[in-house]
Amino acid sequence: MLNNGCKRGRYAEGELLKVDLNCCSCSVCEFIMSDIDTKEKLTLEDDGSEFEVAVGKQQQQEHKQQQELRMNRKSKNGEVKERKYSLWNFWLSSLCLKLLLFPDYYSTDFDVHRNWMAITNALPISKWYFENTSQWTLDYPPFFAYFEWFLSQFVPKIVRDDGCLDIVEVGQFGWPTVVFQRLTVIISEICLFAVLQYYINTSNLNERTQSFVVASSIVLSPGFLIVDHIHFQYNAFLFSILIASIVAAKQKKYIACAVFYTIALCFKHIFLYLAPCYFVFLLRAYVLNFKDFKFKSYKDLIFIVQWRRLLKLGSIVLGIFGICFAPFIFQMPQVLSRLFPFSRGLTHAYWAPNFWAIYSFLDKILAVVMLKFPYVHRFISKFISSPLIPSSIAEIKLRMEENNNGSKGLVEDVFFVILPQIQPKLTFLLTLFYQILAVIPVLFNPSFKRFIGSLTLCGLASYLFGWHVHEKAILLVIIPFSFLVVCDRRLLSSFMLVASAGYVSLFPLLYENQDFLVKSLYTFVWCIVYFFAFRKTTQYSTSIQRRIFFLDRLAMIYISSLLVMVWSIETLDLLKINHQFLARFEFLGLMTYSVYCSVGIISSWIGLSWLYNFDEPLWLS
Amino acid sequence: MASKKKISRINKPVEESFFASPLYDFLSPFRPVSNQWLTEYIIVIFALIVRCAIGLGSYSGMGNPPMFGDFEAQRHWMEITQHLPISKWYFFDLEYWGLDYPPLTAYHSYVLGVIGSFLNKSWFALNDSRGYESENNDLKTYMRTTVIISEIIFYIPGVIYFTKWVGRHRQQSLIGQYIAAAAILFQPSLMLIDHGHFQYNSVMLGLTVYAINNLLDEFYAPAAMCFVLSICFKQMALYYAPIFFGYLLGRSLFSRKFFNISRFLSIAISTVFAFFSMYAPLYVFGGGLRNVIQSVHRIFPFARGLFEDKVANFWCVTNIFIKYKILYTQKELQLYSLIATVVGFLPAVVTILFYPKKHLLPYALAACSMSFYLFSFQVHEKTILVPLLPITLLYTSTDWNVLSFVSWVNNVGLFTLWPLLKKDGLTLQYGVCFFLSNWLIGNFSFITPKFLPKMLTPGPPVQNTEDTYHRRSLLPHNILWKIIIVSSYIVMLLIHLGEIFVSPPPEYPDIWVLMNCCLGFGCFVLFWLWNYYKIFTLANKTLQYL
Repeated sequence: MLNNGCKRGRYAEGELLKVDLNCCSCSVCEFIMSDIDTKEKLTLEDDGSEFEVAVGKQQQQEHKQQQELRMNRKSKNGEVKERKYSLWNFWLSSLCLKLLLFPDYYSTDFDVHRNWMAITNALPISKWYFENTSQWTLDYPPFFAYFEWFLSQFVPKIVRDDGCLDIVEVGQFGWPTVVFQRLTVIISEICLFAVLQYYINTSNLNERTQSFVVASSIVLSPGFLIVDHIHFQYNAFLFSILIASIVAAKQKKYIACAVFYTIALCFKHIFLYLAPCYFVFLLRAYVLNFKDFKFKSYKDLIFIVQWRRLLKLGSIVLGIFGICFAPFIFQMPQVLSRLFPFSRGLTHAYWAPNFWAIYSFLDKILAVVMLKFPYVHRFISKFISSPLIPSSIAEIKLRMEENNNGSKGLVEDVFFVILPQIQPKLTFLLTLFYQILAVIPVLFNPSFKRFIGSLTLCGLASYLFGWHVHEKAILLVIIPFSFLVVCDRRLLSSFMLVASAGYVSLFPLLYENQDFLVKSLYTFVWCIVYFFAFRKTTQYSTSIQRRIFFLDRLAMIYISSLLVMVWSIETLDLLKINHQFLARFEFLGLMTYSVYCSVGIISSWIGLSWLYNFDEPLWLS
Repeated sequence: MASKKKISRINKPVEESFFASPLYDFLSPFRPVSNQWLTEYIIVIFALIVRCAIGLGSYSGMGNPPMFGDFEAQRHWMEITQHLPISKWYFFDLEYWGLDYPPLTAYHSYVLGVIGSFLNKSWFALNDSRGYESENNDLKTYMRTTVIISEIIFYIPGVIYFTKWVGRHRQQSLIGQYIAAAAILFQPSLMLIDHGHFQYNSVMLGLTVYAINNLLDEFYAPAAMCFVLSICFKQMALYYAPIFFGYLLGRSLFSRKFFNISRFLSIAISTVFAFFSMYAPLYVFGGGLRNVIQSVHRIFPFARGLFEDKVANFWCVTNIFIKYKILYTQKELQLYSLIATVVGFLPAVVTILFYPKKHLLPYALAACSMSFYLFSFQVHEKTILVPLLPITLLYTSTDWNVLSFVSWVNNVGLFTLWPLLKKDGLTLQYGVCFFLSNWLIGNFSFITPKFLPKMLTPGPPVQNTEDTYHRRSLLPHNILWKIIIVSSYIVMLLIHLGEIFVSPPPEYPDIWVLMNCCLGFGCFVLFWLWNYYKIFTLANKTLQYL
C-alpha cells in the first residue's frame, strides 16, 4: 500500500511512484488505477520508461473483477453508472476533415458513379445493364444500381443543371456535382457509424473498451478516407452491411447474419471472396446439429441436417437474390458478363501487392539477370526443361520484344518473359485451396473467433492469389481482422503488418503530389494511435512463452521502413521533373510499393495461418 | 529559483480547464503516464493534417490575372531573390509585387526558391514564371508544403514549449497542457490565412513565441534576438515592440539590484547585433546604405492611405460618419493615428515596465498589439493575427472567464476575416474551421446532451462527475458579459444570413462588409478594455492567476 506519492497531477512531475494494484480504497490510487492498464504492474517515471511484469493468474482474476467494478462504478446516488462509448465525436471530427477534402483530387470512379446515377435515373430498368454510351458501364450487382437510383432521386436542381444526370461519354460537371456526390458518400457512411455503435452497445461490459477500439479504428480507417473520400467510392456504406452480418454472427443471430451477407453480396460482388467461409459457418453453426449424433447407419446422417432451418435459411437467401435479380431475369447473361469481365489481365497496371506482384517482380529480375549473364540461363536450363523457361537467350530477347511491341496498355494481359504464364484456372484453384484450408477448422468448431479468423484468411487467400485483384480489396482483409485482433496479443504483429502494408499499398491510388502529405500523415497517425491502442487493450495471450519476439521485432522494423520507402519514393518522384534520368525509374517506384507491401501482407498471412491452424489455446473460448 | 519552487509547492494544482470538451474526450485515453509522450506528437500531426486539408482549397488570387494575389507575391519573391543580385531585390519592378517585407523574408524566400528550383526550374524562372499555375497543382503543393514546414520549424515547437512551461509552473495536469496546446494549434484564423489565403505569418508569430519563451526562461539576450528576427521577418511584429522594450527595460532596472547594467548591455548589444547581421548582407553585397534605406522605405509605406480594404479598426469604422480623407491631409492623419496608438498602448507599457512579470506578458502584448490594430495607420484585416497570438496563448489559463474571452475574440477575429476569405474562395474552409475550432474546445458541448440519445452522448465518463453533469460552453460568469457575447454571436449569424439571402441596396454595395467591420470593431474594443482591466488587476498577482 504505497500511497505516498500519488498526488493527483503530480505524477507527471518526475517523482517515482508506485501504485498498488490491489488498493481500491484510496481515491488517489483509484484515480491513477483507472488510467493504468490493470494487467501491468508499472513503475513509472517521467521519461516514460516502464517495466511490464506478467502477473500471476490469481492476481489476474482479481484485476478482472476490479476492472468490472470499475466499469460499473457506482455514482454517488448509488446507481450503477455505465461507461459510455460513443462514436459521435469521431463522426463529427472526421466529418470536418472530409468536408475539407472536397476540393481534393477524385479518380475516374467519380465519373463512374455519376454515370451510373444518370443511367438509373433516366433509363427504364431493362436498359440499365445495356447502356454503354460512356465506357463506365454499370458493373455492380442490382442492389447497388437501386442504391444509385435512390440517390438520384435527391439530386437538386442546381446539381442537375450542372450536368450530374447527363448520360454522356465523359462527364461534364462542376463544383455542385462534386459537393453532391461527396455528400452522398458522407451521408451513406453514417450506416457504418450506426452499425458499429450498435456493436459497441451490445458487447459485454468487460470487453466494451476493446469493442470501442475496434469500432473507432474502423470508422477512422485510412482505407475509407483514401478510397471513399478522396478516390471516391461507397466502401464505408457497403462494409457497414458486411459488418452488420459479422455483428449478427457474434450474437449468434444466424438468419440476420445470412441476410446481411446476402444483401452485401447483392451490393458488391467482391464480397464473394468471403462466400466459402459464410457458407461453411452457417451450415455448421445453424443447419447441422452434431449434438446427439450417433452413427448407427447412413440413415442417421439425414438427421444431422436440421431440415426446417435449412429450408428457412435457403428460402431467405434465395428470396433476397430473387428480389435483387428478378427485374433482370431475362437478361442474366448480359448482367453476368458485366459483373464478371474475364477479359481482364492477371494484374493491374499497378500490381496489387499480392503473390503475383512478387511473381512478376521475379520474372523481371530473372529476365534482366539472364540477359546480362547468359551463363545463369545455361546453368538453370540444366535443371529445368524448355516449356517452363525459354530455351535460349534468343528466345528471351524475342519474348521481350514482343512484350514491348505488343501495344502495351491496350492489351491488359500480363506476359511473363521467363516464368510460366499464369492461367485464370490456376489462380482460381490456388484461391480455393487456401480458402478450403481456412474453412475446415470452422467445420469442427463454429465459434465466432474461428469464423472471423477464417473470414480474414479467406479474404487474404483471394487477395493474394486471385485473378485481377484490386489493391482496394485489402479492406476485405483488414476490417474482419480488426474484430479478431483484440482476442489475443499474438495476433497483433500479424495485424500490424497487414494493416500498415495494406494501407500504404493504397497510396498509389492518389498519385498527385498534393495528396501526399494528407495520405501519409493520416495513415501514419492512425497506425501509431491504433497499434498503440490495440496493444493496450488486447488480451494477453495465455501462452506467453510461445511469442516469437524475434519476429515481432522484425515486423516492427518492416513497418517503420515502410515510412522510409514511402518518403524516398516520393522524393525521387519530385526530383524527376528537373532530373530527366530519374524519369526512367517511374515504374520502379510503383514496383517497389507493390513488392514491398506484398512481402508484408504475405508474411502476415503466414503468421496468421500458423496461429490459426497450429495454436490451440488461442481459439478456446 | 528556490523561492519559486516553494511558491509552486504552496499553490494548489489548477483545475482542469477544458473539462469534458471533445478534445478532453479524445485525449483522455492518453492520460496514463506511459502514454503521455505520444500525445503531443499526435496533436501536432492532426494539426498538420487539418492544415494540409485546408491547403487543398484555393489561395488568394488563384486564376485571377494580371496581378493575382499574395500567393503570387510570395512566389515572385522566391523568383527574384534567387535570380537577382542582392542589390536589386528592393528595386526590381516595384509595380509587380515588389519586395516590401524586411530582409529575413527575402532570405527565407531565397532558400525556398532555390530548393523549389531544384525540383522544377519553371516554377521560378525569371519573368517567365509570372502567374505560373500548373495543371496538377504541383507549384501550389510545393508552396503549401513550405508553409507547413516553416510552421513546423518556427511556430509549433514554440507553442508546445510555451504551454508546457506554463503548465509545469502552474501544476497543471499534462493532459490539460496538451489540450491547451491543441486549442492554440487549432486556432482557425492563422490556419486559414497561412494555409488557405497563403502567407508565412506563422514564422513571424513563431519567432515572437520563441522570444516569449526565452523571456519566461529569463534568457534576455536570446529573447531580444528572437524578437528582432521576428521584426526582420515581418514588420508587423513591431506591434509587440513597446512591450518587449518595456519588459526588458523593467527587468534590467528593477531586478535584485536597482540597475542590472550587465543585463541591460547584453540585451542592447544582442539587439543591435541581430539587426546588424540581418541588414549586413544588404549593406555589404547590396551597394551600401542606399539599399538599406530603400528596403526601409519599402517596408513602411507611409505613402499609402489610412486604410485600404475594409478593416475592423477605429479609422475605418468611424470613416462611415467622418470622411477623414477629405477633412485632413495624409500628414495630419499620420500624426493623429500615431497619437491615438501611443495613447492606446502607453498604459500597458508603463504597467509592464514597473511590473515586469511573466504572467502579465500575454495580456500586455495583447493590449499593445490590439491598440496598434485599432488605431494605427495602414492596417490590413490580416493583421488581426498579431493581437490574436498573445490572446490565444492565454488558452493556457485555467480561469473560465479568461478562456471565454479568448475563445470569443478568436471567433470575432475569424469573423472579421470573412470578407477576405470569401474573396479567396475559402467559404467551405471558413465554415469548417469555425465549427471545428469551437467544437474541439467544447463550445458546442451544451447541445449534445439535449439532442443526442444517452448512449451517443460522447466521451468516457469523467470519474468524478455525475450523469447530469452540465457541459458548459465558454461564457464568462458575469451576466452582462454573457449577454454581450451571446448577442454578438447572434449578430454574426444574422450578418452571415443576411449576406446570403438579402442583396445589398445599390447605394451601399459594401453594407455587409461594413457591418462585419462594425461588429468586429465593437467586440475588439470591448475585449481591449477588459484586457486592460485584467492587466491592472493582475499586476500584483502571480502566475497562478494567469
